[in-house]
Amino acid sequence: MAEPFDIAVLGAGPAGANAALEASRLGCRVVMIDEQSHAGGQVWRAKSAAVLSAPETPETSAGNQLRKAVSQSAIAHLGDARVWQIEQVPEGWSLQILVGGRSETIIAKALVLATGAREFVQPIPGWTLPGVIGLAGATSLMKQALMPPGHRTVVSGSGPLVFFVASEIRRLGGTVAAVVTPNSRMDWIGALPSMCRRPDLMWRGMVWMADLMLARVPIFWRHAVSDVRGEDAVSSVQISKLGPDWTPLRTVKTVTSDSVCLGNGLIPALEAAQLAGLEITHAPELGGWVPKVAKDGSTNLRGVFMCGDGVGIRGASAAEIHGKLAGLSAAEFTGKQVGLQKNRLYARYAAASSFGLAMTALSVPRPGLEKLATPQTIMCRCESLSRDQLLHEIEAGAASTNAVKSGLRAGMGPCGGKFCQTAIARLVASTKGLEEGAVPPHTARPPLRPVPVSALAGDFAYSDLPIPKPAPL
Amino acid sequence: MIRLVPNQSDSIQRAPLVDFTFNGRIISGHMGEAVFTALTRAGVLHLRDAPADGAPRGAFCCMGLCQECVVEIAGNSVESCRQPLSEGLAVLSVTRGKHG
Amino acid sequence: MTQAYDIAIIGGGIMGCGTALRVAKGGMRPIVLDQGDLGQGASGVNAGTLSLQIKRVKLMPYALKGHAEWESIGDAVGFRKTGGYTVAFTEREAELLHERQTLKAEAGAPITFVSNNALRAAEPHLSHKVRAASYCPDDGYANSSLTGQYYRAQLRDNGIDYKERAAVTTIAGSAGGFELGTSKGVISATRVLLAAGAWLKPLAALLDVELPVQARINTVSVTERMPPLTSTVIGHATGLLTMKQKANGTVLVGGGWQGRGMPQEGRGEVLSSSVAPNLALAQYALPDLAKARVLRSWTGFEANVPDFYPLAGALSGVEDAYVLGCVRGGYTIGPYIGKLMGDYILGREPELPLFDPGRDFTKDVI
Ligand SMILES: Cc1cc2nc3c(=O)[nH]c(=O)nc-3n(C[C@H](O)[C@@H](O)[C@H](O)COP(=O)(O)OP(=O)(O)OC[C@H]3O[C@@H](n4cnc5c(N)ncnc54)[C@H](O)[C@@H]3O)c2cc1C
Ligand SMILES: Cc1cc2nc3c(=O)[nH]c(=O)nc-3n(C[C@H](O)[C@H](O)[C@H](O)COP(=O)(O)OP(=O)(O)OC[C@H]3O[C@@H](n4cnc5c(N)ncnc54)[C@H](O)[C@@H]3O)c2cc1C
Ligand code: FES
Repeated sequence: MAEPFDIAVLGAGPAGANAALEASRLGCRVVMIDEQSHAGGQVWRAKSAAVLSAPETPETSAGNQLRKAVSQSAIAHLGDARVWQIEQVPEGWSLQILVGGRSETIIAKALVLATGAREFVQPIPGWTLPGVIGLAGATSLMKQALMPPGHRTVVSGSGPLVFFVASEIRRLGGTVAAVVTPNSRMDWIGALPSMCRRPDLMWRGMVWMADLMLARVPIFWRHAVSDVRGEDAVSSVQISKLGPDWTPLRTVKTVTSDSVCLGNGLIPALEAAQLAGLEITHAPELGGWVPKVAKDGSTNLRGVFMCGDGVGIRGASAAEIHGKLAGLSAAEFTGKQVGLQKNRLYARYAAASSFGLAMTALSVPRPGLEKLATPQTIMCRCESLSRDQLLHEIEAGAASTNAVKSGLRAGMGPCGGKFCQTAIARLVASTKGLEEGAVPPHTARPPLRPVPVSALAGDFAYSDLPIPKPAPL
Repeated sequence: MIRLVPNQSDSIQRAPLVDFTFNGRIISGHMGEAVFTALTRAGVLHLRDAPADGAPRGAFCCMGLCQECVVEIAGNSVESCRQPLSEGLAVLSVTRGKHG
Repeated sequence: MTQAYDIAIIGGGIMGCGTALRVAKGGMRPIVLDQGDLGQGASGVNAGTLSLQIKRVKLMPYALKGHAEWESIGDAVGFRKTGGYTVAFTEREAELLHERQTLKAEAGAPITFVSNNALRAAEPHLSHKVRAASYCPDDGYANSSLTGQYYRAQLRDNGIDYKERAAVTTIAGSAGGFELGTSKGVISATRVLLAAGAWLKPLAALLDVELPVQARINTVSVTERMPPLTSTVIGHATGLLTMKQKANGTVLVGGGWQGRGMPQEGRGEVLSSSVAPNLALAQYALPDLAKARVLRSWTGFEANVPDFYPLAGALSGVEDAYVLGCVRGGYTIGPYIGKLMGDYILGREPELPLFDPGRDFTKDVI
């Protein structure tokens, strides 16, 4: 095998790419791995090869700039490569990577985890129907394919993403049937002081809203989609008024649509951190469970650094700066002189975080939102488990996410619990009268993404199989 | 009507169309786009049935995590939100579920 | 504090829960304590193989009884009697298979050798490279992840107290027996049973007893749902592969490949250097598995002593203290040996002999 890298960076979003760039600039041998083909992460996801040209947006230009910097650097960038396992080895850290249908090993002295976030979607009746996609998922679709999710879309969810998605749908030629958000106008006014730090983003947000109003798109403040109807796919949605803690009060309207975007904030993607062995704590203001990571990206595991939304949802700008910090820390670990370079970044990191955290605060679901799930609502999509089934298991004594998983297979399906465990942990907590922080996610296990047996097996010869001596007779 | 957010759909240039099949039905999509976006454009949202209750499912997370968009290509399970489209691709719904 | 229990059982796996049920039927008032959830140790994460072909010769009578226990529990633990094949791919493995399975058949397991044609007719997807195979109609599997759910309901239905997330950190002798310090308060009991699986060594140390218990860290992997590929339990002559396709289509692959970690330090780590050959062997045996995607690999801690036989009996040197654990193939034998242990604690003669935890492990005494 080739000589180990100085630093392996997992994730090529604003955090990971900036970590890689900083470390590479200081002379480290850096490999950066991402399952996307190009750098950019979620916020600056590149357009697919099928889009030959398209008008620039702030996202595409930021992304293009980052991609250019990466391509001009000495970073070894592995795209379309999925990290499925992380292990400590004598040389440092080893990553198992699924690339081109094969599993390969990469070893580095230091590891920077920049895995970003995924979204939380509150389960509601009908959310499993084709035509319902995640709200953040919709941005991903539109960034790569430059097409709207359908002809007539209801856009529903908390925080700023709901207005961005509605606006992008209109830009790409779709129709927004309604914008539905549990936030009130007052929630937004409350966030103004933090927003003033980013006049550019505030201005964009105002343009989106004004455009929706001019186009007479109904905006339902302090409402949520409470039911999605349809046979084989979405045909209509019901919209309900919410109380102050977002408890659904009454249905107010039915809207026809062929597509729905649903999302209730982001949660840090921490499975990779858990596999590496980082401790996690519950921090609702950061989006849920987060690994323990210092502001310079260092952790209490030797040679492991982490940055970006994976350590708490602070947004893209904070992720960029945090990435630089983690890159510097990792370079320092490998013996490079970084002097005072980190010190200059802390204040910027704090300022960027303050904006990001205000957006997170708008997005994090309030306790009443859970009540959108009825007894028959599917909570675990992979195994089609209803809230009732889960409740029954919890009431019969299963008092942890691991116990519920064992008893019902909730979280054992192909998604590995990525889209049910937050809601299930909340259900365990509320049923057992526990704090959410007392109900951690189930044990993280490899592979981080499904891996074909053939990739694991590789080109083996039977005689090469290390068959140890048989068990005693 | 004044639009502050202009409709830019006409200024997007796409790769040439190619034909592929979904459960035998011929569909066209742009070379290199994700199979799922080509299917969505063709109005095919129902990609598979949930194995436990047979309910219809389609792409959900659009980022390769939820596995709801998985289809079968040449016997392999692949995420249609990550699989690039090529000419003649034969895409099937996954019908694995209860047996035995 | 409430009235002292007749026995405090430390460890809510199969061994602990099985014994609790038995002593309660005999009139005692037990309590089961677990540091985590019931059935999240080895008992809840094992491969669930109920195969007589991989049982040790001297444990065969216990395994036969254990099979019968699981069969009577049935659907509640997903029991399936599918029959099972053990296969050999090389001449040397064929010899090994012949030698071992003959001894196991003599010990009472209904094992026969089958022709390649018979094997292909029964398991058409298996590799044609099989040289020799044995068959046992009694083999099958159960779903170990249901262990916790099953025993929780059993304890409740039999009025047995249990505490989860109650790690026992101190054990003190007292006038009436023992006082156990746990993270959920002090428990008094007349007797104690140490049934802490791979954690037995530190637990026994609380009573100043040194048990020669070591942990093995077995790995298991599971695939997504697949079309029917195999209908029986498939094993390898060396024991390094066990494989079965569950009713829902997922394929579970085990075989005792080792992960990394210590029982005292969390759940243990999967090593890709173990998963890869384990799955390579599985794919070699069942080529159509190549296209299945692995969804999860995990590890569990299994306890062992130097002679690889169970610890089951009185803890030497401490009156009214007992130990049960370290049973190789303990999922299969668990519910039965729990009954034997319960009988012993109740002062009854067990149906089959127990395994003195104080024996000389350097000698062949079993
Ligand atoms: C779907 C989605 C859409 C979003 N859209 C926006 C938006 O439009 N505007 C906005 O302001 N914020 C958006 N966000 C928020 C987002 O988290 C940003 O704040 C920003 O992208 C965070 O940067 P990051 O570098 O920390 O993480 P990310 O940008 O998420 O980068 C993490 C990268 O790691 C890769 N990765 C993770 N695990 C693995 C693995 N096991 N193997 C290989 N690669 C892996 C991912 O492919 C990803 O590229 C979105 C979030 C999500 C989940
Ligand atoms: C991965 C794996 C695969 C296996 N496959 C098979 C198979 O296919 N077939 C087969 O027959 N056998 C199999 N086995 C063996 C079988 O699972 C075990 O022998 C059996 O489950 C042991 O049961 P137990 O109750 O002794 O231990 P466990 O189930 O481990 O129970 C011990 C319990 O004690 C608790 N505990 C420990 N310390 C304390 C403390 N201080 N205070 C309170 N509680 C404590 C633990 O939390 C744990 O729940 C396998 C084992 C493993 C690990
Ligand atoms: S839509 Fe979730 S994996 Fe493709």
